[in-house]
Parts: sequence; C-alpha cells; structure tokens
Amino acid sequence: MMKMRILSAVLLLAVCAGCSSMGVEPWERDVLAREDMQLITDPLEAATDDHIYFSKEASSGGRGFGGGGCGCN
Amino acid sequence: MAAADAGVTDMSKSSRKNDRSVSVTLAAATCALLGTGVPAPVDAQEEPKWDFNTSLLYYGEDGDRVQDASLKSIIRRLFADDKSLSIGFTVDALTGATPSGAIRQDTAQTFTRPSGNSAYSVPAGDLPLDDTFRDTRVALTANWQQPAGEKGLLSIGMSTSKEYDYFHLGLNANYAHAFNNRNTTLSAGIAMASDSIEPVGGAPTPLSAMLDVGDVSNRNGDQDKDVMDVVFGVSQVISRDLVMQVNYSYSYSDGYLNNPYKVLSLVDGDTGDTLPRTTPLPPDGGPSGQFLFENRPDERTQHSLYTQAKYNMDGKVLDLSYRYMTDDWEIDSHTVDVRYRWPIGSRSYLEPHVRFYTQSEAEFYRLSLDSSQELPAFASSDYRLGNFDAITAGLKYGWKTRSGNDMSLRVEWYTQSGTVPGDQLIGNQTGRDNYPDLNALIVQFSYRFSR
Amino acid sequence: MSGTGTAGRDLQVVAMEHGWAGRFRAMGSPCEVLLENGHRERASSTIAAIAAEAWRIEDKFSRYRKGNIVDQINTANGAAVSVDDETADLLDFATTLYDLSDGRFDITSGVLREVWTFDGSDRVPEPGSVEAVLSRVGWSRARWERPVLCLGPQMEIDLGGIGKEYAVDRCIAIVGGSKCAPGLVNFGGDLAVSGPPTRRRAWKVAVEGVLPDSADHVIDLRQGALATSGDAQRFLFRDGIRYSHILDPGSGWPIPNAPASVTVAADTCTQAGMTSTLAMLEGDRAEEFLEKEGILFWCRR
Repeated sequence: MMKMRILSAVLLLAVCAGCSSMGVEPWERDVLAREDMQLITDPLEAATDDHIYFSKEASSGGRGFGGGGCGCN
Repeated sequence: MAAADAGVTDMSKSSRKNDRSVSVTLAAATCALLGTGVPAPVDAQEEPKWDFNTSLLYYGEDGDRVQDASLKSIIRRLFADDKSLSIGFTVDALTGATPSGAIRQDTAQTFTRPSGNSAYSVPAGDLPLDDTFRDTRVALTANWQQPAGEKGLLSIGMSTSKEYDYFHLGLNANYAHAFNNRNTTLSAGIAMASDSIEPVGGAPTPLSAMLDVGDVSNRNGDQDKDVMDVVFGVSQVISRDLVMQVNYSYSYSDGYLNNPYKVLSLVDGDTGDTLPRTTPLPPDGGPSGQFLFENRPDERTQHSLYTQAKYNMDGKVLDLSYRYMTDDWEIDSHTVDVRYRWPIGSRSYLEPHVRFYTQSEAEFYRLSLDSSQELPAFASSDYRLGNFDAITAGLKYGWKTRSGNDMSLRVEWYTQSGTVPGDQLIGNQTGRDNYPDLNALIVQFSYRFSR
Repeated sequence: MSGTGTAGRDLQVVAMEHGWAGRFRAMGSPCEVLLENGHRERASSTIAAIAAEAWRIEDKFSRYRKGNIVDQINTANGAAVSVDDETADLLDFATTLYDLSDGRFDITSGVLREVWTFDGSDRVPEPGSVEAVLSRVGWSRARWERPVLCLGPQMEIDLGGIGKEYAVDRCIAIVGGSKCAPGLVNFGGDLAVSGPPTRRRAWKVAVEGVLPDSADHVIDLRQGALATSGDAQRFLFRDGIRYSHILDPGSGWPIPNAPASVTVAADTCTQAGMTSTLAMLEGDRAEEFLEKEGILFWCRR
C-alpha cells in the first residue's frame, strides 16, 4: 500500500514538473478543441460503462468518481 | 406584349438543377477562386440553451441471468458566463437470475429465497441461480458547474438512487485549475455517500446458516454503508495532436459491505460435496444442504492510478487508457481500454472498442467452506471478488443528422472467465466447471440534441 | 463596394479583455478584426496587413475608382480587355454563378440602377425605361475567354455582389496564418472565423430577429462564416407590395416576394454570401431552396 502511494506521488510530481515546458501555443489548439479529442467524448456512454463494470467487477472509477450508489455489488 | 412576356420569369419551366448540386458546385467554384484548398466544415448553431442527451440501453447476460433495460437522460441548461446545471435521471428495469454463491452439485438442490417466504430448486449439475429479483432502480443526479476566476472550474453535485432494497445519497465537489497557458490542468475532487441496505427479509447474521422457509430468526433488519472517494488529476497537452491525463483515486468504504443474499456451500473435507441438511425437510420447504451467508470486512480501502491518452492521427482519434487498482482486500486489477474513432465523411464515424480486464481474487474469496477446517472470519464466493479475466469487444457507429444532432449505436460483447485458485478445490470440485463465467451483450442507442 | 475616395483610411487597434480589435472602413462598410493572441506589435501588424488587403481589393475592383481594371472594362465600349489572374478568377466565378442561378445572378445587371432607385419610396421606373436598359444587361452577351473580356457597348460589370465576401475570405486566411489566431474578420456583417476561440466554446454572433420585435438570434460560431443578403434599407413600397432591390436581369424588375433578408452559415464567406444571394433570387422559394441545401440559415420576410 505504501509503495503504491509513493509511486503515485512520484508519478504525479514528475508529470507536473515536466509539464511546465510542454504544450502548444493558443493558436495551435485547433485539433484539441474538437469534440472527439476531449478526454470524455461521450459522458452518457462513460457513465453507463462505469455502472456496468462497477456491478460486474471489483474495481470502479478511475476517470472521476466511482460508479457508486447501487445495490448491485 | 412580347416585351411583357419576355419579362416574366417562369420558374417552373426553367431547368431546375438538383438543388443539392448547387452547394457542391459552389464549393468547388469557391475553392478554385480562393485557391486555399478544401476549407474546414462550418460549425455554427443557434446558441444552445439546452442540451439533451438520452440513451436506451439493453444489457443481457446469457444463461437466464441478469437482463437490464435502461433509459438514461442528462438534461443540461446553459447559462451566460459558462455556467450550467445538469439534471440526470436513470431508470433501470432488471430481471433475471444471479449466482447465489452456492456451488454446483451432481444432485438437485433447494434453497430458501432471501425473503424467507418460499424456496426454489436447482436441477442437478446446474449453477445455482437465484431469480427472486425483478427490480426497478431509479437514480437522479444534479450538478452545477461554473468558472472560478479566469482559470478555474468548480463543480458541485448530488446523487441519489432507490431500488427495492437499496438507497443511496451522495454529494460531490470538484475543482480544476488551468496552468501553463492552459496546457496543464490540475484537479481535485471529493465524493461522499451514505447508503442504506434494506435486504428483503432483513440482513442475515454473517456466516449463519440458511434457514427453512418461514424462519427469519437470524435476520437483523437494515444496514448502512458510507463511502468516501477522493480524486487528484493532472491533464497535459503534449502536442497539437496529443493530450494525456493521470488520475490518482482513493476510496474508503465503511459499514455493511456484504452482499446479504449470497451464501457459500459448506462442503465435506474429502469429497468437496455440499453437506446435506441434518433435519428433515419441512412441508413449506427449505435448503437441501448446509449453506452459510457470506461475510466481508466492514472496511475497504482502494487506490487506483489511471492514465489516458488521446491521440489524433490525421483525423482519426486513438483513445488509450490504463488503470491499476489495488485494495486492502488484496484485490489487484489491471484495465486496458482502447478505442479508435474513424471518421466517415464529415457526418459519421465508426469506433471499434476493445477492453481487457484482469483481477486477482480477494483474500477472503472462497469457492466453498471446508467443514473440516475452522471457519474463517471472512468468506465470500461472489464471482465478482474472484480471479478472472474479462474482455469487451464492440463497435460503435455515430452520425450527425441534417439538423446537427448526434446519434449513435453501439453493440458490445462482454465476457468474463474466471478460475478458482487450485488449492481451494476439494475432491469432486476438481474438474467441474465451478466459476460462473459471464457472457453479456450490450446494446446502446444514444441521441443528443441542443436547443 | 461604395465610397468615393481614399479618405477615411484610418486604422484603429484597441486592446480587448482578451486579445485585440482592429477597426477601419473598407468597401463602404465598417470593418472589424478580432484577434485572440499575440502582443500589441504582432496584432497591429496582422491587422494592418488585413486592412491593406481589404483596401487593395477595394481599389482594384471598386467601380468607383478611376483607372482600375473594372473601370477599364466598363469604359472599353465594346473593345476587348485583357485581365490578370485574380480578375480572371473572379470572372470565372461569376460565370459559374450565372450558370448556377440560371442567369439570375448576373454581374452585368448593375446598370439597372440607372432606372431604379430603392429609397423606400413608391417611385417605380417609367414604362419602357427598364426595357431600354435591358439591352445592356446579360452576361451571355459578353464574350469571356480567359484572359480576354469583351463586353457589349455601354455594358458594365459590378463585382459588388462578390467582392466583400471574397475579401473576408482572403483576410481570414491572413489571420489563420498569423500567430495571433484564433480570430474573426467582420466586414459589415459578412464575417468568418479562423477557428474556435480559446477561452469560450464559440464566437457569439447576433443575427437580427425574424420579426421586428423578436429577440436577436445568438449564433455559436466555431468554424466557417456567416453572410447576409438583405434589403434592410434598400427597397420600394408601392400598392402594398414590397419590392426588394434584388433585380431579375431577365425582366429588369425586382424578384417578386424575395425575403427581406437571408443569413447563411457556410464553410467560407464567399459560399455563405453567394448562397444567401442565390436564395434571395429564388423569391418566395428562398426557404425551400435553403432547406434543400441542408445548411443553417435565417430568413426574414
């Protein structure tokens, strides 16, 4: 458990540190602005999948909050 | 006279070209005039105030198991200054049977229903499935989102759901902040839930025996559970075509975490067969063997690390994600999810999808309970806590209607296949198909429009 | 394109809450350029380049400028005139539009303004005067073989129906190629964007409401262009009939039952402008025509 926490913290910090120099200029955001380039393109499908997998597996969430709130587990 | 006639333009007689070809010809002519190549397609719409997103879902497992028909809708009202309110509701109609946790036998078996009011029987060789439930679930969510200063986004929400034997109430809040010319976003969120479990017949005393019909002496009424979820995330624009995100989640559950309906078969230490009942079967019915209700710890801590990348490859988009989960029940899981969106023309797309999932069993997962050994403190044969691999494979087709509304249809196949740890198999259990493998069909139709 | 001299060629650059706004006059309209990015120097030079391009197009193709190519063509009195590539491209385009509209879009129909004055009054032309002018109208009467144009005597061309939208498209390309993008170019209501803005979902454009007292429509524009054809100020009203200033080159009379205004959204300003003009030329079939095209439009009658 402790190893997991350390690994996560290091990863997040590394990502943050490396982040400050990465990226694009505002006028290069044309592709990123597209609907299909959003991290969650279809929120209804995402919520549906979260719920199905929460009911049938032991893991939940990841992208946001856990599917939660159901007696199916 | 002639002049007047010549002056009248008779439209019905003029050579009316197919009007559709007017815009095509005009587009080509404009291309030639401007000489800048094919322009990007126009994206204009009346400022939407409302956004309606609705779907119809069918989920069906084979072998008379769970079938679910669901209607889900999210209605969003957009206000000035980028504020919005979303209200979501879901209605699920569930039918079908679910594994009770008892193992197959070479003889027919009977079990008392969770309500304690009647019994059901399972033919020899069949996986015991409990089909008591025909349930309807209703869920409601509400979410308010608004910018916080120049670079922040705040979101608060609530969720609630009700089904015959379960009630959920939760609150959540999330804050995201953009840095580095909006190339980096940091976010933090928290969700708290308070759930009540109201099992049919009352929650049974853990590890107590399944009793005869009409005997509810081991029942303890309703139970509670609290859940807290915390998520920290970073999303980063890597290049013009690539954006990534990493999320760390922590979840803590506390309270009644058992499934009140699931049992384990108490088996003979040599043969591995379910011990028969010690008293004669009463007229109203009862269990044909000895079964004990499961018990899980009353706390659970989960950690997940999730990472996702979306990569544009010349108009096609690859969505790749990986999640690692570990908890203090000793369950570890890995999820790999791949989607590839392939545009067809300017109005539709095809999106194949593959998901791989694997999990290791909970520390207290047992196929059955060995009567010659001391009873463990915690035990469950719920297949959802076992060791299994799952694959989802599907295809989604989406299109934009003439009026600019989005529709999509996806068909997916979900299959789980599990294994019981070798050292848990006793006697006749070896060689039997013990794990309740799952095969399910998922069909979802979505319709989205703005007004 | 109207406006008599080169007076009034000032350029104003102001800082906005996010980005820069450039303002100037060209082709008889107030022109506006919005740029989201860049520092003042870069924004100013981009706006200056845009204004320069707009004025270049105005000077080259306005029928009010003495000595430019249009003036040479209009004073040739039957003689052949050789034109450059850009003019030839516009004439080819005008030919396509002439064919596409079955002759209703005609760049030689401008001379009809000699008999029609759309000042909101009820003064229609004397009988016979329209027919007299009609003999000088008709692209089919002109001989256009790239790069040589030979109009009939006393015929004139007027590129006013194409020029402004063409200029918008040329100028939005300058925005797109600069480091100040995303941006918006608006020449008197004919506008285009280079892409979605960075801080909001879309550029917000107000289109006048369908009824005089109904609210403006607000359009979310993320890509493409909007153009409006309309007769807001230029019409005649007689015997209860509204005569729009859109004339049928075949009859010399206004197209009956043309909408009061048509606004169209399309990939480029040129397409939007031409589509709205073609719709106006359809008269009472304007909406039918636009619906068949499957584009976004607002039609006011």
